[in-house]
Amino acid sequence: MHLLGRRRQTLVAISGVAVGVGFFLAVSSLMVGSQRDFVDTLVNAAPHIIISDEIRSPPTQPGLRTFAGAVALHGLKVRNEARGIRGWQQIVTAAQQTPGAIVAPSLTGAVTLRLSGREQPLSLVGVDPALEAKISTIEQNLRVGHLHDLDTTQGGVIVGEDLARRLGLGMGDVVTATSAGGGSRTLRVVGLFKRGRGQLGGSSGYVLLREAQSALGRPFIINTIGVKLPDPYAAERVAARLERRFGYKAQSWQERSADFLSLLLTRNVIMYSVVSAILLVASFGIYTAVSTSVADKRRDIAILRSMGLSEGDLQLVFVLEGLALAVVGILLGWGLGQGLMAILGSLRFPIAGDTQHLPLDRSPLQYAIAAGASLLAGIVAAWLPARKAARVDPVDILRGAA
Amino acid sequence: MTPLLEAEHLGRELAGDPPVPLVVDASLTIGPGTFATIVGPSGCGKSSLLYLLGLLDRPTAGALRLSGSEVSDLDGDTRARIRLRYFGFIFQFHFLLPEFSARENVMLPIRRLGALSLSEARDRADQLLGAMGLADKVTKTPDRLSGGERQRVAIARALANDPALVLGDEPTGNLDSGNSARVVEILQMLAHEQKRAVICVTHDPRIAAASDLRIEMLDGRVTGQTRPQPSL
Repeated sequence: MHLLGRRRQTLVAISGVAVGVGFFLAVSSLMVGSQRDFVDTLVNAAPHIIISDEIRSPPTQPGLRTFAGAVALHGLKVRNEARGIRGWQQIVTAAQQTPGAIVAPSLTGAVTLRLSGREQPLSLVGVDPALEAKISTIEQNLRVGHLHDLDTTQGGVIVGEDLARRLGLGMGDVVTATSAGGGSRTLRVVGLFKRGRGQLGGSSGYVLLREAQSALGRPFIINTIGVKLPDPYAAERVAARLERRFGYKAQSWQERSADFLSLLLTRNVIMYSVVSAILLVASFGIYTAVSTSVADKRRDIAILRSMGLSEGDLQLVFVLEGLALAVVGILLGWGLGQGLMAILGSLRFPIAGDTQHLPLDRSPLQYAIAAGASLLAGIVAAWLPARKAARVDPVDILRGAA
Repeated sequence: MTPLLEAEHLGRELAGDPPVPLVVDASLTIGPGTFATIVGPSGCGKSSLLYLLGLLDRPTAGALRLSGSEVSDLDGDTRARIRLRYFGFIFQFHFLLPEFSARENVMLPIRRLGALSLSEARDRADQLLGAMGLADKVTKTPDRLSGGERQRVAIARALANDPALVLGDEPTGNLDSGNSARVVEILQMLAHEQKRAVICVTHDPRIAAASDLRIEMLDGRVTGQTRPQPSL
């Protein structure tokens, strides 16, 4: 109903909202995008649940089980059994009962790689390539070769490219692996990991499961079971259940990355405080514009009131005016945000030999949140002066004007 | 028969120490078809009385009845609704909304009352403006109209919802004599032909002379009510 009386104030108010919305979009899309990227990496780089042959608390001593009043012995030395998960087939079966779950048993053990006098410790991981490809991102992180090459090459091994460089290894080269037990195997490099990919690290070597079992001298033994679930967020629950049932330590990805997750939470709190402040400041522009408009329109307010428009009608008029400013600002802000995102998205960062883009989340949710928050702030900012305007006694104004 | 508008010992004070009296003990009745004027020196409370009669202001004493119902103690929204439906105001300054055309200014109260559709409201606005001799100016904004034309648009707006009462606060105060005479004619026509009650505050002796009832005020009091002989 009211047109926009003062050009400059209107412009300031609209551009304030536009800038607020634009930067909100840019910042939050970057934050949400990077968070998603981060969590994806956390969640999918390794199995959602890793069951290892460790136990969190020592088993009850036989004496305590038998005699109620027995005192636990300290410094007890348990006979070193061949470590591994006992009855791992049962655990695999149990884990597979979750619909859609993929379960991959593996054996990890330490070996030493020797090549022309140089020695390098290696954590040998024996896997089933078909299963492993489904539960982790190893395949995507290979610089050269494929996981299934392990199946086709006798004694094939995949190592990190850094490690390979240290030992002067190339594709197809042969290296000797010696285990602590003294056994030694000849391995042939069939693939290289990209460097700097977290848990794969520079010191892991992937081989076939039975290759690892024989190299480590532990036939038929499994000491790690990886589980990938269709819903990553069920990992904590499923892990707890498996651990309760079998006693072996079952770590969910949440547990493994608790510190990262709390970091993300802090990051989100910071981000939302900052962008809310931007939107809040933007709404000051609307407040000023509507206040000025109210001051300019005092006579109009009086005449409209005398004509029989109620306080509510007039409040609505000015709130709508503020809302119009907010809506125009939001639309411009969406455009600005898209522009900023396009700029951010076009940036290229060479990291670890790879060209990477900033991870951006361009979901409509971001736009909706930015618009919703600005509308809310705009309505409140317009409503405050509108309420004041509506309460003005028309008689006071008419007396002054006449 | 119940009078259209009846004020009984109406009073209005501004709060203060001591309180400032604006209107003291005003009693009067006005029926349909009456053209009344309120006259008196500046600051005697003419406008204050008019605002009380027009439900713009609340009395601090006395009673005000519209068609027999007490209206002085109603809440703000109800009073706004009554103003919208039963009252039309004309001020010294036209107070038209500058962003809107003459037609839109007149349509505003019609649309707010909501009894007519958009096209009906437009027709009614055009008809009212036509009656004011402004048929060819309906799409003009106030800044493109002369002072007299603006005041006639304001009168058309006051008549938008066919009010029973038309209240004027110095409606000719800002007009030259030609335009003043025309407004006076219109006001007379509203009272005598359309049987509305017209109450005008004025300094202009010609309006007072043209009215049916002259309410004289001094220091907030109604000092006399006279009925001048119609000078035809």
